[in-house]
Amino acid sequence: MLPFIKLHPLQIVSQNLRHDLLDMVYKNGGHIGGSLSSLDLITAVYFGNLFNFKRDHFILSAGHLAPALYVVLANAGYFPKNFLDNYSSFKSLLQGHVSAEVPGVEYSSGSLGQGLSFACGLALGDKKHTTICLTSDGEHQEGQIWESLLFAKKYKLGNLINIVDFNQMQIDGPVSQIMPLDNLASKYISFGWTVTTVDGHDFKQIISALKNAQKSDYPNCIIAKTVLGKGISFMENNFHYHDVKNLPEALFNKAKSEL
Amino acid sequence: MIINSIRQSFGETLCKLAKTNKNIYVVNADLKSPLFLNNFAKKFPHRFIECGVAETNAAGVAAGLAKTGKTVFLTSFACFSPAINWNTIKQSICYNNSNVKIIGSHAGLLSTDLGATHQMLEDISLMRSLPNMEVFSPLDALETTKIIKAVTFSKKPAYIRLVRPSTPNFFDPKLDFTIGKSHRLQSGKDITIIGHGPILEEAFQVQAKLNLDSKYKKISLEIINCSSIKPLDTITILKSVKKTGRLICLEDHQQNGGLGEVVASLILSNNISCKFIHLAVDNKFGRSAKTYQELYDYYGIGINDLLSAVKKIL
Repeated sequence: MLPFIKLHPLQIVSQNLRHDLLDMVYKNGGHIGGSLSSLDLITAVYFGNLFNFKRDHFILSAGHLAPALYVVLANAGYFPKNFLDNYSSFKSLLQGHVSAEVPGVEYSSGSLGQGLSFACGLALGDKKHTTICLTSDGEHQEGQIWESLLFAKKYKLGNLINIVDFNQMQIDGPVSQIMPLDNLASKYISFGWTVTTVDGHDFKQIISALKNAQKSDYPNCIIAKTVLGKGISFMENNFHYHDVKNLPEALFNKAKSEL
Repeated sequence: MIINSIRQSFGETLCKLAKTNKNIYVVNADLKSPLFLNNFAKKFPHRFIECGVAETNAAGVAAGLAKTGKTVFLTSFACFSPAINWNTIKQSICYNNSNVKIIGSHAGLLSTDLGATHQMLEDISLMRSLPNMEVFSPLDALETTKIIKAVTFSKKPAYIRLVRPSTPNFFDPKLDFTIGKSHRLQSGKDITIIGHGPILEEAFQVQAKLNLDSKYKKISLEIINCSSIKPLDTITILKSVKKTGRLICLEDHQQNGGLGEVVASLILSNNISCKFIHLAVDNKFGRSAKTYQELYDYYGIGINDLLSAVKKIL
């Protein structure tokens, strides 16, 4: 008999979102690998009852993770779920990379490295509320990220949280081969940030890190160790699933059965 | 002729405006002194954000700050901003339609001794190609004041090109600057001279030379100050070119992507028959010199070049 494991309530939410995400990418293509690795993080941000996005801010710096954010926003009621069916189509509001034309989206992005600078500006101009930014690990190869780390420390942006989707993969292969980040946590610490490392698929850890980050006097980084393609065996840690154009029906069915 | 500094006019105007307009912020990249922002930084330390030598982050910070309801001036030299941070301007400022005014100082060959790396000759080209972006190049210190005031009333992204040396004042103090409007600095019937920035002084000097020449003394130039490059005052330009049938565009910028191309395209699109000469830097990098006249002569945009062009186009 299998041991009884009590699921975190958000685990059930994110499992349903995974189905929506897979359906959406099967119909339209999209950046599925990183969307599956970051989905639990975005789910925690929107469904964890920690933030109020009428006032707080969420900036998706890694704009190619749009499928994950769109699925979350649709399920949070920002726009009708059937919008997902036409993702990245000509007449769709849902642009391939995340767009502020979409209800609930505050920042249009797609070119990596910029969102954290934008988030710094928001956090500086709106100190009473929290600004959460989501970056990818590969994105940290952009020099602009390091400029913004210096800035956030100088201006003591304790209301800024940068969540790093640390899935250790990028388009051409493992981050460790393309351009190693080595010990990212120690780099953030040396830049004067408060750093927490969590399992990016463990809601208890994610929520706890987000709660602690809100109390900090320094800019906060949550390095979330995640799995590219999380939940679908043949996509997991397989950088060829950075994005998909046409997922064969057989593989789609296999993926559905695994979720 | 009164000589004033365009960049000093910028720094002082912004400081004055910031006294009453509490939404004005500066995001600076280590060039406070050359932009005459020491006073602003002293008087409004909480509205003066220093990013250091990191123009790309500065552009992103400016965009985010603007989204909290501020009017943000992103201040640097044109050779760094918009040159280094173009893609952040494209995505974070223009695509996100953030209320950021980009001040690119020390543009053109007028940064005489600094040489090619600092003589920004591509800024108009870079900025006018971006959707949502408005582009302005003031004639003199007085018009700079008017342009800075005008852009604070607009919510749109804007680029304002400034130059380093003090230059003569031409702008009629009685006139207002309106976004998308060009002023005729001198009415004439034979040749339209259009340009932006202090280089337009050459047109007056050439007119003076023509007046002294028995063969050309009846020739009159219509001089148009195209400080609003985008949006463009198509009505004033087309009206003048229809009248004169001859157009010389003069600018301290590359031919590629400069005002000359904007105006040429406008004229062709309107099926107007017109002789056209574009005096601008022809696909070359700048270089150092002690006076700007040496450089203007070398790159073919000096007074003698304009005079030759006038005689040629007649």
